This record gives sequence, structure tokens and C-alpha cells, in this order.
Amino acid sequence: MRNVERLCLAHFWVAFGAFLFAAVIGTWQMWVRSPLGANVGTPGQYFMSVTAHGVSMAYVLTTFFIMGFGYFVAVTALNRPLPGKVWAWAAYWIALLGVVLTTIPIATGQASVLFTFYPPLMASAWFYIGLVLVVAGSWVWCVLMLVAMRAWKGENPGRPVPLAMFATVANAVMWLWTTVGVAVELVFQVIPAALGLVQTIDVGLARTLFSWTLHAVVYFWLIPAYIAFYTMVPRAAGGRLYSDTLGRLTFILFLIYSLPVGMHHLLMDPEHGNATKFIQVLLTAFVSVPTLLTIFTITASLEIAGRLRGGRGMFGWIAALPWERPMVLATGLGFVMLGFGGFGGIINMGYGMNAMVHNTSWVTAHFHLIFGGSVVIMYFAIAYEIWPRLTGRDHVSAAPLRLQLWLWFFGMMVMTLPWHWLGLQGQWRRVSNFNYADPIIAGWGPWVVVSFGGGIILLISAVLFVRNLAVLHRGPVFAVARPLYALAVHPPQRVPAALNGFGLWNVLVLVLMVLAYGYPIAQFLIEPSPSAIVHRVQ
Amino acid sequence: MADDAHSQYSEPHVLDQPWRIWSSVAVLGILLSGVLLGVLIIPIVQGRGAGLDPYTAICRALGILPGSPAQPQPSDRTPPTPVSQVIWTPGVLQILARADVRRGYAKVQEVCVSCHGETGVSAAPEFPHLAGQSGAAIYKQLFDYRTGSRTHPLMTDVAKALDEPIIADVAAYYAGQPQRNPNPATLAESPPAIVQLVELGDPRRNIPPCAACHRAGAGGPIETPVLAEQTAEYIVQQLKLYASGERRNDVYGRMRTIASRLTASEIEGLAAYYRAGFR
Repeated sequence: MRNVERLCLAHFWVAFGAFLFAAVIGTWQMWVRSPLGANVGTPGQYFMSVTAHGVSMAYVLTTFFIMGFGYFVAVTALNRPLPGKVWAWAAYWIALLGVVLTTIPIATGQASVLFTFYPPLMASAWFYIGLVLVVAGSWVWCVLMLVAMRAWKGENPGRPVPLAMFATVANAVMWLWTTVGVAVELVFQVIPAALGLVQTIDVGLARTLFSWTLHAVVYFWLIPAYIAFYTMVPRAAGGRLYSDTLGRLTFILFLIYSLPVGMHHLLMDPEHGNATKFIQVLLTAFVSVPTLLTIFTITASLEIAGRLRGGRGMFGWIAALPWERPMVLATGLGFVMLGFGGFGGIINMGYGMNAMVHNTSWVTAHFHLIFGGSVVIMYFAIAYEIWPRLTGRDHVSAAPLRLQLWLWFFGMMVMTLPWHWLGLQGQWRRVSNFNYADPIIAGWGPWVVVSFGGGIILLISAVLFVRNLAVLHRGPVFAVARPLYALAVHPPQRVPAALNGFGLWNVLVLVLMVLAYGYPIAQFLIEPSPSAIVHRVQ
Repeated sequence: MADDAHSQYSEPHVLDQPWRIWSSVAVLGILLSGVLLGVLIIPIVQGRGAGLDPYTAICRALGILPGSPAQPQPSDRTPPTPVSQVIWTPGVLQILARADVRRGYAKVQEVCVSCHGETGVSAAPEFPHLAGQSGAAIYKQLFDYRTGSRTHPLMTDVAKALDEPIIADVAAYYAGQPQRNPNPATLAESPPAIVQLVELGDPRRNIPPCAACHRAGAGGPIETPVLAEQTAEYIVQQLKLYASGERRNDVYGRMRTIASRLTASEIEGLAAYYRAGFR
């Protein structure tokens, strides 16, 4: 087991190292965009920084965290050794090599294309090759998760796969589907152009392929948070999971409805007809179903815990919950951010309303609140929960943990709520500086300063987080083994195969993807559109 | 007992069939209702309001025909009047990529050398230096002279005598000459207002920063020329021609717009800045 713990810690430290670095430069970006830092740095430095921030947060933090967490779940939830440990280490080193290859061109200013690439902007080929290696490492992880589940099923015929593992495999299956889009874009379009083999690129096709990946990738990041909601939070709160079946349904719905919906990122793009946009927006609306199911199930689970702890009346159970425990606190704070971010997302989803906020700070605020807020705060809670199991040492006190979570919550709210407001004012995103001498833009200044204040709080919280984990490695208190995963109110004895595997759902995803993306992609091959000239940023 | 244990843990296929049926019905039903609304009902209703027949409206909704199903297509059929005939098609880029520098050198010796110099350092300040200039920029200007998009008493006839591959060869030859050496020592002499104009532009007058396009790798159009170490006389002359509208081969009128907003002293200052060097 020690070896698996080292494997998990190796992944987590790469993830959190990247996170801390990205938090530092993110704060710098907020400073130079604010009136306080006007004329500090050049646009070139700003976009280099934004690229590094996006790649670190969106690709390195997430992929390494999810891989490490997946290995942890496979061992602890299935209670059997991890199959293919050598492969897992190989995948780790491949992905790490990818990170290094990606970092070098970013640092030399040859890859300032932001983490979503924006062809025909073209970075050094090493930037993309590095990212492909990160994804390749994660594919090995996906296969290992599938192998682990299959092996467990072989040993336990007819028994339901533990929910934590079922959800992890759902994420792995979804990730395999998800990465097809970006992989095709990179391998067949972007990398040949970056290598200079072709001088033009079909931007419409590239954006369509990226949209295939772009929404599901967010659910890839999100699912660990939901795994914690379903399998760790009820136990941490001292209760039971309200329904194991709803949990399984939630993760299945994420698998189905995260994929054929990416075109809502292209609502303002001209290359697709209104009908295909409409169909994908309708499917997007169904993405809210698993989240609403989760809010219901977890609230019900927490109510069970609160009442078991003596809470009475309509809301008394809320006060009775053990809010001093980081996992419970993070869930409460995460739900608040999920609420604000979710409603903001529904605005983005609507064609007409999206037109109002498209390319404004509203969108930046939305994804920082959902991902940086509710998802990452659950990453913190997961790390706090499982670090004692990985290091064998326990937290001396939960106070610095709680402080860190509160700071993250406050920082994120203070940073993103002004961004939403500024987005409604028309403040554009992806720009390096604002001319505060302009009377209209001058009015934005105070709000930008406030959000910069939020950024500073977030940076303090990020430093405190890494400190909280680092001190544990040499902590004086030895960890006591505690159960981690919650039992359901009615633990499942047997479930239909549909809720115990992914065969049926893969078929349905295939049908949905063919119908949602078949013609939109085929049209580029039937009638090739004019290509854009590649623009090399180096 | 063994049978009991087996039945308890076997995959419950009986339970499974309704899952297969109803989940497929639900997922496909949602999709079908999306298709029904998005492909048929909405376009037909919107198309009726816009005076379109159902077939056209549906084809537009699917993206098979151009335009929106909710609006009649604008009836403006005026052909566009491009300011330049250069189109950066893959074919043109291939011609540029396959240019023959040796043939270009021979043509330079024959035609260009007397004004622009053998290495692209011009003989007189009213002629632009071409050494280290972008190949696409030289190609665009020669092609524009050839098609009449840009005129010059000497260059129009010169360019008309060259065919397209030779234009590319000449462009490639001059582009391959070493860049003129930036002279950082003289940079300090530029007044801050000019540096500001280069770096940040003047948003109050809607003037974008020069560096947004004219710095290497900045993101401007492919034909953007390198300005570093250009002769000041040439820059002043061209900015004035743009400002007056006499020169008009800039796509979207970008340079005409910018130049007409610059003051005479700013034009002088910018010319001095770019003559001095490059940051």
C-alpha cells in the first residue's frame, strides 16, 4: 500500500504545485488589469501569464489531481491492490514530461495562445505535443480504472460496484469520449500547422472539435467534487447517503449530457446552423438535472445527519451539522458558489442572453466561480480528508483548515461577483489592460480594484492550503484509521446492470454524439470552408 | 444454499430490460423533441414571419443554405470593391514558400538594385529599405502595383513587367537579407508621447498601438511590413499619402483611418522612432 500512497502523493504535489504557481500569477494578472497596476508589464507578458495560469489550473491541477484521486479511490473503495502499478507510474512520468515540454515554450513566450488555443494563433509545436502527452498519461489512468473495476466485478459477481469507484469509472469513460475532440483537433489540424507542414487551418472545424471537448472537460474536473459529495460528505457529517441509486443516476447523466452539448460554446460562431445550436442547447438544459439531483440528495443526506445529531424543526438540522469539519464546511460553501455559478451558467446557456454577456467578464466570473469556487474547494476538502491516510499523520487542529476554506470562499465571492457585474457593463475579457482615462471604463475601476482584493485573499488562501498539507508530512500527531466512505440509507444489495456498468450508456452516448455532431462536423468535409492563415506567435 | 447465493448475486437481467428500454426512450425522446422543435417547428414559424418558404427556412436552420431562418437575406447585391487583389489563399502561400532566392537575386540585379540596393539598403531616403522586410509584405505591394491597387511613377511599370512567381522570388530574396540592425542607443531619444502611441495607441482618438501589428509576432495581418530602421522620409511620405487617401491599398482602410488621425508632429515623431530602432 505504501507504494500507492507515494503514487497518489506524487500526483497531488504536481497538481498543487501548479495550483500555487497559477494562483501567484493569477493575482499578478488581476493587479496589472486594475487601475492600481496600470502600465505594469507588457501585453506580451500578460498573455504569457494568462496562458500559464490557464494551463496550470485547467490541465495540470485537474488532470494530476483526478488521476491521483482515482488511484486512491480504486484502492480504498474496492479494497484491493491497484492493478498495473508500473503503468500508473509510467503514465505519471509521461504526463510530467508533457508538463515540462508545455512549460518551456510558454516561458519563452512562444505559446501565448491561452489554454484554449484559439487557432489560427499558433504556438510552438512543443506546447501542443506536451499537452498531448498529459492527455496520453490520463488515458492510461482511464484504462487502469476500467481494469480495476472489471477485476473487482470478476471477484464479486453480481454485487454493486461501490459508488465512489462507479463514479470514478464514469469519469474515466467520459474522459475517453471527451478527449477525442481535442485529440483530433491537435493531431490532424494544429500540430501539422505548428510544425509548418501546412500554412492554413480551418478554424470553424477546429473550434467545433474543441467544443466537443470543452464542456465535458469541465465535468471531468467537477466529478471528483461530486464523488466527495456523495461518498464522503454524508459520513463526515455523521449521517448516511440518502440514495445510492440517485448517485449512480447522477454520474450516468453526467456521462450522457456532458458530451453532445459543447456547441453552446459556439452560439456566436457563424459556422453552424441555428437548428444544431438549438438541439445542443436543449440537451445542455438537461445537464442541470444531475446537479439538481445532487443538491436534493446531498441536502437530504445532510438533513439525516443533522437530525441524528439532535437538530429539530424546519431548519434546526442545519445548525446541528458539524460545520467545524472541513468536509462539511467546504460542502456548504461549495453549494453557495455552485448556486451563484449555476444561475450564471443558465444565462450563458440561453442563446439571446448569451449574446449579451458573450466575451465579457461575466463568462470569466462564471467559470471561476464554478470551477475555481465549488470544484476546487472540494479538492481542498478531499485533500484534507485523505492526506492523513496518505501520510499517516493527522491535522493538529482543524482551525487553519477552516480558515483556509473560508478565505477561499470569501476571496472567490469578492473576486467574481464584481466580474459578473462588470460583464453586464460590457467589460471585455481576454484583454491585457484597460484605458481608465476613458470615462466609461473609469467607472469600472473601483469594481476591478475590489475584485483584485478578492484575488489577494485567494492567494493567501492558496498559500495557506499548501502549508496545511506540507506541515502534515512531518506532523506530530499520528492518524487513526477512520472509515471514509458513507453508507447509504439502504445499502444496495443488487442493482441492474445498467447501474453497475457503462455498456448501455456508451451506446446512447454514441447515438447522441452522431446525431449532435455528425452533420456539424461532416459539413466541413462535404464543403470545405475557406481556411485561415496560421499566425505563429513566436 | 449454493443456488440461493447464486441467485442473490447474479446480474438481475429481469430488472435490466426495462432500464434498457426506458432509458433509451427517454434519451432519444429528448433528442427527438429537440430535432422536432429546432429543425422543423421553429424554422417554419420563424420563416413564415420572414417570408421564407418552409424548405428554405429548414435548410437555413440546418446551415445548408446561408442566412438565418428568421430573417430575409439582405437584397444588397452590390459587388464588393476590394482595395487589393491579393488573396492569401493556400496557393499564394505555396508560391511564396517555393520562391527561388537565386532567381530573385538575378532579377534584383537586373531591375531593383539601382534604387533599393543589392542587399535592400536603399540608395536614397525616399525609397524604402527592403532588407529583412517580410516576404509577404513585399509580395503584397508588388502585386498591388501590378494590379493598379497602388500606383507609383516608377514601381507601377516595374511591377507590371514581373510575373507572379518572380515577384515571390524577389520578395524572398530581400526578406532573406539580414535585418537592419536595431539601434537601442537612440531609443531614449523618443519622446514619451511617441513611445506611448507605439505601445498603447491613443484610445481617446481610436488609434490602436502601432506595435499591435508592426511588432514581429504581434498578430497583425500577414502583409504587415517591418518598420524598424525604415527611412524616416519614406514613413512620413506614406503616412501622409494614407491620410490624404491618395494611397488606398490598405485592407479595411486601417492605415487610412489611423494616419488621418495623426498630427503632423506625431507623424514626424513616429518616423523618427522607427528610424531610430525597434523595441
